[in-house]
Amino acid sequence: MSQPTSRLNQRQREEVTSQQQGAQNTAALEFAAAEEMLRHDAGQIPVPPAVAERLQKSVASEPAPPKSWWQRLLKG
Amino acid sequence: MSALITETPVEPAPETSSPATAVQRVPLEPPELEAIYEEHSRPIFYLALRMLGDPTQAEDATHDVFLKAYRKLGEFKGNSSIRTWLYRITINHCQNLLQTWHRRNIHGTDDETFWERAVGPGDSPLRVLETKELGQRIQKSLDALPEEYRLLLLLVADEKLSYDEVGALTNQSSDAVRGKLHRARKTFAAAFHQTA
Repeated sequence: MSQPTSRLNQRQREEVTSQQQGAQNTAALEFAAAEEMLRHDAGQIPVPPAVAERLQKSVASEPAPPKSWWQRLLKG
Repeated sequence: MSALITETPVEPAPETSSPATAVQRVPLEPPELEAIYEEHSRPIFYLALRMLGDPTQAEDATHDVFLKAYRKLGEFKGNSSIRTWLYRITINHCQNLLQTWHRRNIHGTDDETFWERAVGPGDSPLRVLETKELGQRIQKSLDALPEEYRLLLLLVADEKLSYDEVGALTNQSSDAVRGKLHRARKTFAAAFHQTA
């Protein structure tokens, strides 16, 4: 008799989880200020990998840049 | 999904990073450029995206900004933080683009594939839509603001910048930043509500 109960519990758990996920999907986002919304927005947007790939190619075709003050300092 | 802006005191938000939105690592040479890119490319790309309003142009601008930074690494004297220095290059670059005849006459593209890439492969179509929709509303609201307010909000949104640094980047005192920020928030909130 414990198996049907267990199945029922499993189903109930799945339904509850599904409802919770649904609630999260439709919940309103609330932000205290504009910059907080922008911060959230920025967190959703990664840099496209193509930028680094292009940059790598561009840098490879550039002459070496002059050393910065801190590099000169460290290397004497 | 709906989004609200409530006028309550602002608490610093913890930085969130999920696998879906993590920066994909591509090794760059020299090593210092790679480290700089890894740490700062995301805020630079976001600033360019929201200043220009176009993902493709923001990609180009981010590439150009880091290439300029690479060329000028030797001139960087450490008087400001690297991030502030990169922001200055980005602001100048984007403002130049916005002023050119070419930019004024080319309408931004609403790049569908960009928004699909902006969320992780495991995210549902609903999430793609939510991210895109919120992004569009934010872009419309920012576009409705005076340029000064738009830039102010975008810079203040970066928690790594102090008001002094925001002031230095926008050529004003930190007190002026605080004063204008209040008006910028209100103007943005009003514009955002109109996009609903």
